[in-house]
Amino acid sequence: MRYEIWLAALTDELRRHGVGPDLAGHVVAEAAAHLRDSGEPPLRAFGPPSAYAAAVADSIGGPAQRARGVVGPVRLRAVDITKGYGRRTVLSGVSLTVHAGQVAAIVGANGSGKSTFLRICAGLTGADGGQVELHGTVGYCPQAGGTADFLRADEHFALVGAGRGMPRGAAVRAGGRQASALDWTPGGEQARQLSGGTRQKLNLVLAGLGDPDILLLDEPYQGFDRGTYLDFWHEVWQWRDRGRAVVVVTHLLNQLDRVDVVLDLSAGGAGVAA
Amino acid sequence: MDQDRRAQWLRGVLDLCVLGLLARGDSYGYELAQSLQSAGLGVIQGGTLYPVLLRLQRSGLVTVYWREGGGGPARKYYQVSPAGRTVLAEASGQWSAFAGGVGAILQERTAP
Repeated sequence: MRYEIWLAALTDELRRHGVGPDLAGHVVAEAAAHLRDSGEPPLRAFGPPSAYAAAVADSIGGPAQRARGVVGPVRLRAVDITKGYGRRTVLSGVSLTVHAGQVAAIVGANGSGKSTFLRICAGLTGADGGQVELHGTVGYCPQAGGTADFLRADEHFALVGAGRGMPRGAAVRAGGRQASALDWTPGGEQARQLSGGTRQKLNLVLAGLGDPDILLLDEPYQGFDRGTYLDFWHEVWQWRDRGRAVVVVTHLLNQLDRVDVVLDLSAGGAGVAA
Repeated sequence: MDQDRRAQWLRGVLDLCVLGLLARGDSYGYELAQSLQSAGLGVIQGGTLYPVLLRLQRSGLVTVYWREGGGGPARKYYQVSPAGRTVLAEASGQWSAFAGGVGAILQERTAP
């Protein structure tokens, strides 16, 4: 690997590992100087970019933690939500409040009602009891589905953008930009021709189109490779830093120490936000 | 030398060796790697060395500054901080005691 290529890959990987742009710039400049001085091939001196970026992130104590406690107004308030199917109670008295600039994670075993709760918050499913208030515009990303088989990605951007008051050109450009943040360049394929992972990227881009105030994301990373999975969380932290309220249904626990609110639905349907 | 064993030994002392070298004068990564090699510690790859330097920087034992290289782009220089000198002084005493103990055992074992 030529070392310019290796350095470019390192820049991407440092971003994926949550290393801030200033420090990443220093790390890359230092590696460049080392490679020039030593004349060694980058793979021998530093190893693969992803491994070196992980070592760097590790030695600085992981991704930068944002100062907590600076939150905006309430964007989502769900109070005492109950829901059952037939005789089976799925949710009983679940409450969640998310402010602007916060990320909430909804966790729990399969069948604990995570997706149902999110759909109730999004207004897609009715609750049997309780109340949901949304203050702002909403973007929702389902676990699967949600795309139109015979439309191309840019047609999706235009269609959903129109629903959010964006002109066609602006929507297509914004969609393309968001797609590239997920390491995807939309081509001329129809949605049915995309892989499952790429369709989820499309879903995620659509959720964020028009920069809504509230993002409701239902395990949107199914089928993503490791790198794109990290890109996804990078997007989540960016949304938070821009003052959006983000709710993510997830069964992966390794990000939980970085979110602001955890709603655990495992405890028999009566979730408590901690 | 057994490479695994060497790597394990290095893991325990590389940060101290780097501090020790910096106590003799400010330096940058590649130069430190060369000094470590000529001191007999073997080849230390950049992928091993720079994360150690970042950890030392983060824990305040070294400070950094950038200096233009002669004709080339800037290099990141490392300088040992007062806290780094304190750690180095303590650790070198502890290391002498530890290495002395290991040496005593190993030599006794091979003595006639």
